[in-house]
Amino acid sequence: EMAIRELKVCLLGDTGVGKSSIVCRFVQDHFDHNISPTIGASFLTKTVPCGNELHKFLIWDTAGQERFHSLAPMYYRGSAAAVIVYDITKLDSFQTLKKWVKELKEHGPEDIVVAIAGNKNDLGDIREVPMKEAKEFAESIAAIFIETSARNAVNVEELFQKISRQIPPLDPQDVESNESFKLTRQPPPAYKRCC
Amino acid sequence: MAAGTLDPPRPLDRSGSFFKLVDTFALEIGELKQEMVQTIQPSAQHPEMEVLPGLEGEVSGLYLQSHTCGGTAGARDSGYDSLRRRMSVLDRLMQTHPVWLLLSLSDEEASRILLQRPPGMFLVRKSSKLQRKVLSLRVDDVSGPSVCDFPVKESQYTFSLEGSGISFADLFRLVAFYCISRDVLPFTLKLSEAIAGARTRSELEEVAQLGAGFWDSDLCYRKRSPVSPVRSPPPKPSQEGQPVPPQKEAPPTLRTRAPSQLECGQSSGALCFVNPLFLQLHHPEGGSTSTPKPEPSTTAPERLPAHNPPNRAGGKSRPPPPPRPPPPRRPVPPQKQRSMPETVSWDHRLEQLPPQNRRGPMGSKISSPSFSPPKKSSAPIPVPPPRVKKQLSMSDADGLRCQIAMDDKTIEKALSRRRTATQLAESPSPPGVPAAVRDGQRLSDMSISTSSSDSLDFPHGFSLPGPSPPSGGDVRATSSEDEEDNEDDEEEEDYGVSVESDQEVNVPLPFKSKRRHVGGTFVLPRALKGHFRKVSGVFNSFMTPERRAVRRIAELSRDKSSYFGCLVRDYVSFLQENRGCHTSGLDLLQTLRQFMTQMKSYLRQSSELDPPIESLIPEDQIDRVLEKAMHKCVLKPLKGVVEMALRDFQLSSGAWQQLKENLALAKAKQPHELGADGALPPDPVAIEKIRHKFHNMRKMYSPEKKVALLLRVCKLIYTIMEDNSGRKYGADDFLPMLTYVLAQCDMPQLDLEIQYMMELLDPSLLHGEGGYYLTSAYGAMSLIKNFQEEQAARVLSSETRNTLHQWHRRRTAQRITPSVDDFQNYLRVALQEVDNGCTAKTLMVRPYSTTEEVCMLCAQKFKVPDPENHALFLLIEETSQQLAPDTYPQKIKAEIHSRPQPQPFHFVYRRVPNLNLCIPADQKNGNCPPD
Repeated sequence: EMAIRELKVCLLGDTGVGKSSIVCRFVQDHFDHNISPTIGASFLTKTVPCGNELHKFLIWDTAGQERFHSLAPMYYRGSAAAVIVYDITKLDSFQTLKKWVKELKEHGPEDIVVAIAGNKNDLGDIREVPMKEAKEFAESIAAIFIETSARNAVNVEELFQKISRQIPPLDPQDVESNESFKLTRQPPPAYKRCC
Repeated sequence: MAAGTLDPPRPLDRSGSFFKLVDTFALEIGELKQEMVQTIQPSAQHPEMEVLPGLEGEVSGLYLQSHTCGGTAGARDSGYDSLRRRMSVLDRLMQTHPVWLLLSLSDEEASRILLQRPPGMFLVRKSSKLQRKVLSLRVDDVSGPSVCDFPVKESQYTFSLEGSGISFADLFRLVAFYCISRDVLPFTLKLSEAIAGARTRSELEEVAQLGAGFWDSDLCYRKRSPVSPVRSPPPKPSQEGQPVPPQKEAPPTLRTRAPSQLECGQSSGALCFVNPLFLQLHHPEGGSTSTPKPEPSTTAPERLPAHNPPNRAGGKSRPPPPPRPPPPRRPVPPQKQRSMPETVSWDHRLEQLPPQNRRGPMGSKISSPSFSPPKKSSAPIPVPPPRVKKQLSMSDADGLRCQIAMDDKTIEKALSRRRTATQLAESPSPPGVPAAVRDGQRLSDMSISTSSSDSLDFPHGFSLPGPSPPSGGDVRATSSEDEEDNEDDEEEEDYGVSVESDQEVNVPLPFKSKRRHVGGTFVLPRALKGHFRKVSGVFNSFMTPERRAVRRIAELSRDKSSYFGCLVRDYVSFLQENRGCHTSGLDLLQTLRQFMTQMKSYLRQSSELDPPIESLIPEDQIDRVLEKAMHKCVLKPLKGVVEMALRDFQLSSGAWQQLKENLALAKAKQPHELGADGALPPDPVAIEKIRHKFHNMRKMYSPEKKVALLLRVCKLIYTIMEDNSGRKYGADDFLPMLTYVLAQCDMPQLDLEIQYMMELLDPSLLHGEGGYYLTSAYGAMSLIKNFQEEQAARVLSSETRNTLHQWHRRRTAQRITPSVDDFQNYLRVALQEVDNGCTAKTLMVRPYSTTEEVCMLCAQKFKVPDPENHALFLLIEETSQQLAPDTYPQKIKAEIHSRPQPQPFHFVYRRVPNLNLCIPADQKNGNCPPD
């Protein structure tokens, strides 16, 4: 029996970039009948296996409008991970993302895993944020980076897998003793440089 | 009132003759046989509707019987006396848990103890190796004696042995079952002689007192030969021996089958839970008659009953293990008549007794205080410590069930006899305790009665509160009863939902049976209602282990002789008298939360809870159950005080006024003005509905229950927003809508409600769904509270935003390479080489980094061999200027950004122009920025 670990994950990003679409896609695919449904799409949960553990993501969506910005700390408080979403067709949303990165660095939980998701990559023809640019930025802050398409279910699963892998296992000894786990586990990204 | 209502049934009385009784036995036996054949056919097909009428019949039957009994009292006593002595396996286990339930016992110690004992002996403990509970069983394997650990699986609501499909509501039931049926074990568990053979509670108590020391004591090795005859029920009819051989055998059978079975039997899933009757049947002293045909071996007096000696079991060839829990069965009319009524009839009888007699039973109850502290009461309850244990065992619901199942006549006999004689002696009732108090106690005792002889009185006692005590304590009795009722109601109110869900999720059996009973009460004529309330109190004993545990803790909190009770009482009264001592509402709530958390950990560590909560509640549920208990014993009495205190703070700080004003402003706004423009807003009717829910929320004291209501409100909002479109709305749409709804509800009181939940909710729940929507409500409320300020700020920020927006647009329009240089800590710098053109890098540059530092960084990043010949330049449009070493590039960047019409600009790291290589732009802007 694997232990279930509850992980609070906070979703940040401009309104309309597809925060909740990504999570709805993540939760709806492979629908798990064991999981009691939540009352609405602002809070969703999904459990995925990771190594010796089961990670139950408790996903907290936030309102992206400026007026709700001041409430954000209540949402990211206690989060194990934050997914900051921008829209690759909206440069503004990428700027907003950077504000969130900054705020998290300054006020977020220590050791919070930050993932940057460039959504709507199915709309490459009207792209405003080059992937390279965003990727470099992500590397500069040692964040996970991935471009997704909630609409086409591209990279959604992967996004959360990457997060799972960066969550340190509760019992490191168990991990050591489990060879297969060790082998399949990807080393944590080594992005430490700042440029 | 009791008497009046009870009387009418009398006419129905079936003459109560002895022959009638014999007939009944015959009938019972016949039914039993039938039952053996067609086992499980019951519950599912009998909707409650059908059952209820049956119950009603039962009830009327009761009254009849009580009267009958009166006449034949002497005659029946004989059989009864032996019954009295019988204690079910479950009772014995519950009373002696300090002996065999040794959670902290080490592997070594367990082996040491068990290896000296015969096979079949067992302990329950927590294995440090497996980090879970195990049943350690002494076995004989090929290599000789050894100890085998069978892990206990704890699901969300039940206990079972690993590998077995049978689960139990608590550990006692589990162990009791395995005393009778081996299931996945090599053989049945065996109780030590001192436990299996004990004739009285005090004997068991003696054993229990020894705790783990029992295993090394003389008692453990002692044989009880002298007593053994008594142990086997049939052989020794106690006093007025009525020589009716068949009867002797019969009574147990009857008992088993009877009413109690109705109770358990009607519910479904019999296999899941072991019917206590079954246990009783197989219990050492007498009950081995579970099978219709008497089995010689089992019936033999000297034998340890139910469980065959392990050896014999040796394995599979052992005689068919006792049937699993009796199949749920439909009540058969005759049976019905017996069971429930009894309680009521007893009531009736009691009334007829002279006061002193009455005192007997009550006294005994009183003597077992800890579990049944008088509700609310202030009257001191003498609590002889030893008795406490007894009470625990009494708390067993199933025991009660068995009790009820007994032939009512017999019971009544016993009761009356006891009243006059034994009782007083056995349980000294404190003279000072007013009758009313005793009544109250009786009430609470109801939930804990056992099937032991002593406890025979208890179930009846339950119904006692109704009849007026001699001293005109009637009113008081009634009121205490009412309080009890209220409490139950509130509990229902507070926890009803979760109980409900419990039922769905897991253990269908016990809950359903409980429900049915309650249902049955509703069928009763109004006149009986009062009584039935009490009866339903009795049925509290059928509550889930969770509710039992909560109730026990609540009772403990009122027990002044317990440390826990003192702590709780002191804190509660302190806060009641000094609510002003806190600096703010927040401070008060946080202190309160801290107190509850501390009490929870105290309860987990102390041994005041008896039996240990681990034996009732699966590990992963303990904290949740403790939390509920805290709500009940701490928050419930303090709700009013806390509300007043919070309100005082709110008023005195001016927050209330500000809130009301802002709320009025916000309420005047249209949905889109609050950002709720993505979906359909609730109409006034829906708003009214939501307000209603919020009003209900205010009545609750449990933060969890309040949150549950909040979730319902949120769910309703979602439903309206979705409007059957199937669209899913995230926080971008939901939070503005929630803000709109809260503004429309116009309930400033909600602010305190939210604060109450936010601070008092179990911290472990704050990350879940309840925590999420609570946070959202809190956020929405704080926006409303600061509506004016927020609006003012928004004007500013939207202006800023517009500026930024324009700037971005222009940049985008110019197709300038997107960059990240506007982000505060990053600076994008290009290396311009004469022959190679430009390469750009984003550097981490703090606001107070100087140009000199940035130049060093650039030299490093760009791997420039001759940094001394390079410098940082700012290019704006066509102009370029070299930055002085002590300037701050980030500040310069910020300054340019803040210009009304910022122009595109670049930081360039490049070679300082020689005299020869002057770039025109450089010359134009040759001046360095002022130092």
